[in-house]
Amino acid sequence: MMETLDQLFVLLKRWVVGEFPAAWRLWLSPLIDAGAIIGVFAGLFAVTTLLERKGLGRLQNRMGPNRVGPFGVLQPLADGLKMLTKEDIVPRAADRVVHFLAPIAMVTPILLAYAVLPFGRNLVAVDFDAGLLFFFAVGAGTELAVFMAGWSSRNKYSLLGAMRGIAQMISYEVPLVLSAVAVVLVAGSLSLPSIVDSQAGYHWGWLARWHVFTPWGLAGFILFLIAATAESNRSPFDLPEGESEIIAGHLIEYSGFKYALFFLGEYLGLFAVSALGITLFLGGWQAPVPFLAWVPSYLWFGAKLLGCIALFIWLRGTMPRLRTDQLMNFAWKFMLPLVLVNLVVAALWHGTAAWGFFGAGATRWLLGGAVLWLTYSALSHALFTAPGRGPRTYRYAD
Amino acid sequence: MSTVDYLELLKLAAPETIVVAAAVAVLFVDLVIMRDEPMRHRLLIGGAVTGLGCLVALLWLAKVPVHAAVLGGVLVVDPLTQWVKGIVLVLTLCTAALSLHAKFTEHVGEYFTLVLLATCGMMFLVSSDDLLTIFVSLELTSLCLYILTAFSKRDRSSAEAGLKYFLFGGMAAAFTLYGLSLVYGLAGTTNLRAAAAALAGQGLTPLLAVALIMVVIGFGFKVAAVPFHLWAPDAYQGAPTPAAALIASGSKVASFFVLAKVLMLGFAGVEGSGAWRQFSAGWAPLLATLAVVSMLLGNLAALAQRRVKRLLAYSAIAHAGYLLLGLLALANSDGRPEALAALVYYLATYGLTTVGAFGVLGVLERVNGSDRLEDFIGLSRRAPGLALCLVVFLLSLAGIPPLAGFFGKFYVFTAVVGAEPARLGLLWLVALAIALSAVSLYYYLQVLKRAYVVAPVAGADRIVLTWEDRLAVGGLALAVVLLGVFPSLLLSPLGAAIQVAGY
Amino acid sequence: METLCFYLFAALAVVCGFLVVANPFSRNPVASAMFLVLTIAALAGLFVLLHAFFLAAVQILVYAGAVMVLFLFVIMLLDLKEEERRSWRKFGLVGGGVAVALIALLMYAALRQSPLGAAGEPRVEGSTAALGELLFRQYLLPFELVGVLLLVGMVGVIWLSKRAVP
Repeated sequence: MMETLDQLFVLLKRWVVGEFPAAWRLWLSPLIDAGAIIGVFAGLFAVTTLLERKGLGRLQNRMGPNRVGPFGVLQPLADGLKMLTKEDIVPRAADRVVHFLAPIAMVTPILLAYAVLPFGRNLVAVDFDAGLLFFFAVGAGTELAVFMAGWSSRNKYSLLGAMRGIAQMISYEVPLVLSAVAVVLVAGSLSLPSIVDSQAGYHWGWLARWHVFTPWGLAGFILFLIAATAESNRSPFDLPEGESEIIAGHLIEYSGFKYALFFLGEYLGLFAVSALGITLFLGGWQAPVPFLAWVPSYLWFGAKLLGCIALFIWLRGTMPRLRTDQLMNFAWKFMLPLVLVNLVVAALWHGTAAWGFFGAGATRWLLGGAVLWLTYSALSHALFTAPGRGPRTYRYAD
Repeated sequence: MSTVDYLELLKLAAPETIVVAAAVAVLFVDLVIMRDEPMRHRLLIGGAVTGLGCLVALLWLAKVPVHAAVLGGVLVVDPLTQWVKGIVLVLTLCTAALSLHAKFTEHVGEYFTLVLLATCGMMFLVSSDDLLTIFVSLELTSLCLYILTAFSKRDRSSAEAGLKYFLFGGMAAAFTLYGLSLVYGLAGTTNLRAAAAALAGQGLTPLLAVALIMVVIGFGFKVAAVPFHLWAPDAYQGAPTPAAALIASGSKVASFFVLAKVLMLGFAGVEGSGAWRQFSAGWAPLLATLAVVSMLLGNLAALAQRRVKRLLAYSAIAHAGYLLLGLLALANSDGRPEALAALVYYLATYGLTTVGAFGVLGVLERVNGSDRLEDFIGLSRRAPGLALCLVVFLLSLAGIPPLAGFFGKFYVFTAVVGAEPARLGLLWLVALAIALSAVSLYYYLQVLKRAYVVAPVAGADRIVLTWEDRLAVGGLALAVVLLGVFPSLLLSPLGAAIQVAGY
Repeated sequence: METLCFYLFAALAVVCGFLVVANPFSRNPVASAMFLVLTIAALAGLFVLLHAFFLAAVQILVYAGAVMVLFLFVIMLLDLKEEERRSWRKFGLVGGGVAVALIALLMYAALRQSPLGAAGEPRVEGSTAALGELLFRQYLLPFELVGVLLLVGMVGVIWLSKRAVP
């Protein structure tokens, strides 16, 4: 019974596909996958905008949207209608073709990235040998979209926003990928379902073997989260859109449906990268404790995803925005060295997996943790005491 | 999948590894320890670390004669490649010694690092039988040399030369890669010897001809053969003098050696076994054409030059022509060891002579600020020792006995004539080369005339030489004389090495 | 199906490659760069058809994702204006035409006379692990050399961007 429930969607798809003539099946199966992914995550997008506005409202001591429908739950619908009915304005000086293509170039690659993510047991569109690489490869397409949007608008604020955006995305892509490489090193595979499989089972019957419970996994997960925040241009790394300085960056000349597409793209990117983080470090769709393993796998995945989204909303409500130089220094002088050390620690962890003496696990944990902690404190010390990096002095505004 | 003995591999690739380690060490020492020291100290220390790296690598080459071809020809270590690598290292050492008074840059660490990494590329170029490694090391060498050419930031002509060299080089790399990938497509292997075996039966099909032409174009650019020479005069002229010396010597030695290897090993079977004696197909006519045009244009254009660096550039083009002639001698499998020995001897002596000539130029440039012919006036009185060294270098380049350049030419030409006794097809080429050597004497003597005969302007003071200059230039002149008087010093070990290596 | 895909990607690569260097509609460097991105994507498609998934993904990740974006970034920073329309010189036109025709003829003759061998079995089937084995055993030295090459690039760029002391 539970088995059937767990595999519900897989079986459903198999049944639907089976109803059609054999010649169609080859085409139908990916179509169903794509439709399901677009449907589910566009729905999640609507829910998240509401959650975010509500959550931010609470964090800022206000109510958030509460007019449309009971407790404001129909707000996304109203937002959507507003977006769709707005006039679509293209500046006269703009490069029309590129201006038109940019939102599409934003959403399409992100949707492609969902193809390799396992949302539950056997619930993956394509089990692809180099899946992780595929994810990062298509994710790189969004940088082009940001560039296209910023450049084609012929607006200096858009250009500035795009430049900031690209610089930030390229810089943070390095720690993002390198923190994932540590997992690949230990799991020995680039395929996301097999990375999830490598985290199956429990220590002593209760502690899940997720990567986040290892020293390198913990550090990697935190680094991954930070880099993911920066990659999806969210606060505190939302400089490309910095409303107070450059209005809305590369989005400034977009309105109506195209603007909504950019918005959709950003949120879909956030979901995708959270889902990747869950897959890499949080055991994917695995249950955290063995006695809850009967809960269908996709529900676990969904719960973890919502947890991550909540974390991102919390971060957005808490953190002030960084300056560009702080952003770059943080990426290259703090995150990059730390993530490289993390890679070494992961290699050591993998190399000492055969240690069998009593307390080996604890020793490995302490050793790895100590190395990471020392690096962390040295790097953060260097970051804060570097010349010119002290408390800001104001020349004119004292 | 065969397992690899990494320790053995490290032992075989130790000289290269030492050079790379020295490169990183120079960068570290200069940027971390010597950062705030005066320029003079930084140059001395940087040069010392560079020299130390080269010396250790040389010592390793001399003391640890391990011979093996591992990983299917990716790394081939045999006595011949050891010798050629040693020559390249000596040339780098001399270049480093000439750089000790560099005024063209403040970035000492970067400079020496690039010199060393270029050397590393040359060494791998010499000791690989694998198309992939050859291409990668070719790129490594070229990239370092592009940067070194543009290294003088205050000098516009240096930047221009660097850009020109880079653009031409990029184009040539595209040709090389295209040709090599066609070879790979036809032969199904990246190993030179295996490719030769695979190509042997096919005859010279058009596709193979395209591949061959592309490869020759690519390497022709590297060795500055006409009509792919256009970068050379500008690069020699614009580049800082030590960098130009490296381009003219070490890079040339490595490129010619690898070209010889690619033609001799990789395209050995191009025409099938029967067509060897006729030189009617394959790479021989192509190379002969390039050789003739290079000799003609190099020698004739050099006559018109007013700047000595440009003059040396055109003389280098002419020498590339002679060397291409030497490559022709390799087409025939009997007499090949002698021809190869002659070629390597020529390369080594030519490299030493060129570095020496550039050394003299460097000193003069430091004093006068330019390299016009007029600046050589009265050199014999301003610096008699230096002028004597200049005589040795230039006469050796012209091929006057008993200097090394004469014997280089002599052996190469003998090998070419001996390569094909039946039809004497190459005799007229050799005759042309000898005639043009006589022409070349004119422009070398133009320089010497100014140094010795033309009366100096009053008030020109003596040139003060530093001990590094004396050591480097004097040592090189001595070497050129010694190798000329006793050519067997180099020739007999080379012959033995070729015997052992079995070419 | 596979043949169809091949011709699709190949045509895309050739057409976009042509548009990179000789775009009749726009002489804007950004347009060229974007067509180069498309060319690269088409090449990645060809790699997929050859079962080289890893290579395809790396191609997109490195070239389209990083290198081209940096190209565009530089174009944006330098604020390159539209290149002027080239005035056609008779010599250039005739010479170029003759060269292209000759090369086309040569390639045609070459391909007619010596057909390339039938597509062999791929030596390293798509698997990333096999590729890694090959890179770290058989081709370890070229691989390391590429590392040195990148070091040279890095040193060169840093040297280039350092300010010269007058």
